[in-house]
Amino acid sequence: MMRNKIVTAGIFIFISSSASLAQEVKEKVKEKLKVSGTMGITYEGYGLSRSPSGWTGYQPRRPWNQVRFNFTPTFNLGQHFTLPFNFNFAAIPTNFAGPYAGIKKQNFGQFITNPMNSFGINPKYKWAELQLGTQYLKYSDLSTGDIGVFGIGFDLRPKTWRFKFFNGISQQGINYFAGTPTVTGAYKRRNYMFQIAKEAEGKYLFAINFAKGKDVPASSAPPPLTIRPQEGVVISIVSDVYVEKGIYFKAEGAQSTFTKDVATPLTTLLKGLKPFMEAHTSTITDFAGQLSVGKKSTNFDIGLTSKYLGAGFQTVGYPYQQSDRLDYTLNTRFNGWKDKNKTYKINVVASVGRRVNNVRNTALKASQFIGNLNWFTQFNDHWSLNVNYNNFGFQSASGTNPFGIKNVSNDLGFNPTYTWSNTKMNHLISLSYNYSKYDERDVITGLTTSNNTHTALLTYVPSYFDRDISPDFSVLYFYNDVPLAKIKLFTISSALSMTAAKKRLQLRGQLQYTWGKLNSFSSNNNLIASCNVDYKITKKLSWNTFLTTNYFKYGNEITPIGANYLETMSRTGIQYSFDTKKIIR
Amino acid sequence: MKKIFFSIIAAFIFSTAAAQMINSNLILTAQPPAQLSEWGNRREVLTLILSAPGAVTGQFKLKAEMKTLDGTVIGSADLAKTPVFTGNSSGTTILFANDVIPLEDMIFTGKYKNSLQRTGKLPADNYTLCVRPVRPADYAPLGEEQCKNFYLATTQLPILMKPYNEEVLNAKTAQTAIIFRWTPVVPRQTSPVTYRLQVFEVLPAQSPVQALRSNQPLLDKEILAATQFIWQPQLSFAPVDSNATRKLPTFIWTIQSLDKEKKPVTQTDGNGEGRSEPLIFFIDPNKNIRKNQ
Repeated sequence: MMRNKIVTAGIFIFISSSASLAQEVKEKVKEKLKVSGTMGITYEGYGLSRSPSGWTGYQPRRPWNQVRFNFTPTFNLGQHFTLPFNFNFAAIPTNFAGPYAGIKKQNFGQFITNPMNSFGINPKYKWAELQLGTQYLKYSDLSTGDIGVFGIGFDLRPKTWRFKFFNGISQQGINYFAGTPTVTGAYKRRNYMFQIAKEAEGKYLFAINFAKGKDVPASSAPPPLTIRPQEGVVISIVSDVYVEKGIYFKAEGAQSTFTKDVATPLTTLLKGLKPFMEAHTSTITDFAGQLSVGKKSTNFDIGLTSKYLGAGFQTVGYPYQQSDRLDYTLNTRFNGWKDKNKTYKINVVASVGRRVNNVRNTALKASQFIGNLNWFTQFNDHWSLNVNYNNFGFQSASGTNPFGIKNVSNDLGFNPTYTWSNTKMNHLISLSYNYSKYDERDVITGLTTSNNTHTALLTYVPSYFDRDISPDFSVLYFYNDVPLAKIKLFTISSALSMTAAKKRLQLRGQLQYTWGKLNSFSSNNNLIASCNVDYKITKKLSWNTFLTTNYFKYGNEITPIGANYLETMSRTGIQYSFDTKKIIR
Repeated sequence: MKKIFFSIIAAFIFSTAAAQMINSNLILTAQPPAQLSEWGNRREVLTLILSAPGAVTGQFKLKAEMKTLDGTVIGSADLAKTPVFTGNSSGTTILFANDVIPLEDMIFTGKYKNSLQRTGKLPADNYTLCVRPVRPADYAPLGEEQCKNFYLATTQLPILMKPYNEEVLNAKTAQTAIIFRWTPVVPRQTSPVTYRLQVFEVLPAQSPVQALRSNQPLLDKEILAATQFIWQPQLSFAPVDSNATRKLPTFIWTIQSLDKEKKPVTQTDGNGEGRSEPLIFFIDPNKNIRKNQ
């Protein structure tokens, strides 16, 4: 009996102590749980009305209807555990470029891996992060970084070590379809990548990167017409060093081995990269490197950057990277002319560089000169002047033609601004003038065509000190002159921003009218109206709406004469903010 | 008597050999794809038509050589490894690039081998391809050598000029007109290139390339032969959400270069879509005003 009591009492004490302990843990968990981020839903509607009926000279440029969802909270438990979600997805596919171009009906796998959708969860405890779902992982400039991969991996950062790995699918197999719109089609691509590195932030980074992508040839039927199943590996070594006084040195060297068509025969005459991939007759192996050295400080930066991409350098991580080039650029930024308050009055940002193609002599030699300058001077409390100059020159032979290609683009801009104020308001008048010249040589006749553009913009912005209202007014004149075509545009616009309902409502409206004329044709007319309404329903809930409409009526430069269109776009969405920064109780 | 006997024997051998001589006709595009492995994917690039009086019924191999215009051999088929063909009993045998120059059996020399290894292409130049059918056993000629000249040069996609990368445009100006410029396709193509200019809006939660690969372009314009376009956006640039990482409306633009059949001018280099490396630009509603306020 006594024994039963003792056991019963023991169980009671255990249960009650467990319950109280659990309650205590729960309380502590609640106390330590913080949530930030947002979630919401947005609807976008588009309308286009063209006249006369049946005229298709202007095409729709947005989806008729679209619904976008976002769920991006971050849960913080204690000091060390975070659980961020990154769910961004849309109901209707709108892909025009890349592997999903043209797709209208997608299966679940295609929906999950479509680049317009992201489903990522990255739980992290201290230095260990698990990567689940869609991830855009940039290991380095030459290995991987531009594409999203759906899969699983980790990012471990014990002390100064870095161990990263990810394995997944960057695109699903998509069948070619010849209808309207044409679906280009794609092969399913499996990717994996890893990085081993040692890093002390702000001091040094030494990393070895590996990234591989391989297409599955049987993953689409019918397969794409113009795209071949491919396979590629890139290995890169990164070395960054930051020393005192803002001096830095960054370097990366990479080798890519890429098979342009895995259906081509295997060969022993070319190099593969065993055990990662075998050589086919379409396998190429080339190198790339980049180097930058410089110094950064509060009032003076200077840096020299050079980048080399061999003609056969290709990675699956940067699908749009153009190879076969050598760039070198000198950048600088400095402040000058201190006033009596020891504030700098001049800010200059400039760069000059050259890009050379034809590094491997497999193409015609092309050379480009690139120069940019932006010079801002604050003369006094009233006057300032911004001057900018940009040059881009391109030269190349043109095969069997008598003259080479030579295209030179020059832009020169001046922007003086005058401000003054009284007790009630501040006034700002800004004039911006830009002259743009584009010379292009004809490779048959050798004659150079000049394309000259003048743009002048005058803006007036009054700011009231005691009113929640901010208008602005501007007029713009644009003139482009090229043989056989002269374009004139004249625009007047005005905008007004204000708050209402105890600053819970923010409103902004804009009205713009543009008169245009091409050669001696009759003028065309364009009217744009837009408004934003952002309403804060509660501290956490907001309703944001953007409406715009665009009416354009052509002159007699096109047929049918009198053609016009009315375009409308609306976007409205509810956003809930988790971002309380308060302890949840 | 002995002379007569040898003459008869010689005449017999000659007539027998003549009966087995194979006529060949080599058809090769004057400017084939720079990527040699691509020749096999396009039947129109190289066609070899073989025929003989009667029919090409025996077995033969093809001795293929690539030369520079001065006659220096830069690559040749390893006859010990090349496939043996059997003539078509119908009288005519038609072969294509994969048969005539099987890259897995082609041995290139010096800088040409190095170039092929690194780029899959030969240095830009004029070349000659010579092909001759030979007997499999001793590689004795079975017909005349056929040679054709061709020119190789990699097609270079346009490089985007303006707006330059990460240029910040004044919203007031950009709402009226934005000038786009790019370099032409090099070398100049035999027919005018259509440049498809596309501008995509980068939404707040997107990376620029993600936007390019997933959004409907705000501008999708085909421009024939010219390398400049003035866009009247007719847009009121929507403000960026205050929570967004990018504080300015962001756009990404690219050029897709298309041939006369509206196919990408190059399908084996880079992305296979003939799309140039994209650039991004920003629209700043307060450019040149913020500094003064």
